[in-house]
Amino acid sequence: MTPIHELSVHNNAQDTMQAPAIQIENLSKWYESFRALTDVNLTIAYGERIVICGPSGSGKSTLIRCINQLEVHQKGRLVVNGVTLVPGMKGLSAIRRDVGMVFQHFNLFPHLTVLDNCTLALRRVRKLDRREAEAVAHANLERVRIPEQADKYPSQLSGGQQQRVAIARALCMKPKVMLFDEPTSALDPEMINEVLDVMTLLAQDGMTMVCVTHEMGFARKVADRIVFMDQGQIVEQAPPSEFFTNPKHERAKLFLKQILH
Amino acid sequence: MSFVDILRGIFEGFDVTLIVTLLGLAYAIPFALVAGVLQHFSQGWLRLLVTILIEFWRSSPLIVLLYAFYYSLPAFGIYLSGIAVGAMVLGLNIGGYGSQSIRAALQALDRGQVEAGLALGLGRLDVLRLIELPQAITVMIPTFINLAIQLIKGTALVSLLTLTDMTFRAKEISQLSYDPVRIYSSLLLAYFIVCYPVTIFGRYLERRASEGRRSISEI
Repeated sequence: MTPIHELSVHNNAQDTMQAPAIQIENLSKWYESFRALTDVNLTIAYGERIVICGPSGSGKSTLIRCINQLEVHQKGRLVVNGVTLVPGMKGLSAIRRDVGMVFQHFNLFPHLTVLDNCTLALRRVRKLDRREAEAVAHANLERVRIPEQADKYPSQLSGGQQQRVAIARALCMKPKVMLFDEPTSALDPEMINEVLDVMTLLAQDGMTMVCVTHEMGFARKVADRIVFMDQGQIVEQAPPSEFFTNPKHERAKLFLKQILH
Repeated sequence: MSFVDILRGIFEGFDVTLIVTLLGLAYAIPFALVAGVLQHFSQGWLRLLVTILIEFWRSSPLIVLLYAFYYSLPAFGIYLSGIAVGAMVLGLNIGGYGSQSIRAALQALDRGQVEAGLALGLGRLDVLRLIELPQAITVMIPTFINLAIQLIKGTALVSLLTLTDMTFRAKEISQLSYDPVRIYSSLLLAYFIVCYPVTIFGRYLERRASEGRRSISEI
């Protein structure tokens, strides 16, 4: 039996590190008669890097948008950072602050400078004062290699720079999990790599990442597991080495053939 | 009477025009903001209530509203001064228009903006206050200025409630001097003198607001 004092030393963070970061059980979502997700099961551990791929309309974005409840599921169980998410629940913002999200179209706030984009939630949600918030912001802008743009407005940056700022903005909140929803799909080809490089750095730092992306090179290099979706269901899950050389599902074979030529 | 004398005479009514305008804005801006935001967010009976309120103020003729409130409220034991009634009616009428442009601007905003705010853990009200409204209001500056000018011009109607504004003064002078052409031309000029600076102020505001949004080609 464990003595009491050792139990109390055993802190909460340790507990959550051992439990999965995200646990999805029989998750279903539908719009009217269209089934966007059907009985999806997926467990993601802390430190894991997951790449979700699949044909368009297969439910990839819907799935990761359920994780921070930008989309509400109708059925199934969803546990994020130890909290069970119930549709229509209160206190979602407390869960969202620990789940960073990067969007396809960046969604930076155009009326705020790069620095203010990064400090807004730190000050309002984390209640840091301006000096502290700006220190955190500068550190994260450094991390995405764009510290010199702090005082510019988003519209003055290139697409790749904007997306890196969006990553820094999410990182400022010190999230336990980062969600990437097609982060390079809206970028000019020559800007894709600067964003992927930053994401690779993050992966090397041990960040828990769930990425919806068509960048198979990135998936091969960074992912611990590839999740392949089709028609609202996960049809195959495998480490990249296995997925790319020996896909099992017919739809995955076809997808790879088309995407890799 | 010389031109300058006429203008000087008309501007004796400027204080009433100014007060009705400022008080009118004090009604219009909060009403536009609250009604526009509520109409955007509410559903069911609350939305219906807000819509009815907006439509009442927006869709009734000003002159009818002025008479209705000025002459019929006393029958219910409510005595309001001409200035109070004028400012309220003009302000809420203009505010009704303003509420629609606020709602339209909120609706036109990219949904991704709200999502990005929510994803960062901001509450819904913070997202509205810090992300949606600042952008909506920037877009609306030209409309706001337009409405402010509309309000200034609308104050001419309070002369019908026997308030001595610029228009009322022009009528008085005209009855004394029998020179309507010169006097009403001067009145036109007088309103232009009052309204044009507002237009210039609006352009200044727009320039300032767009400073941060220069496109990448201008760097």
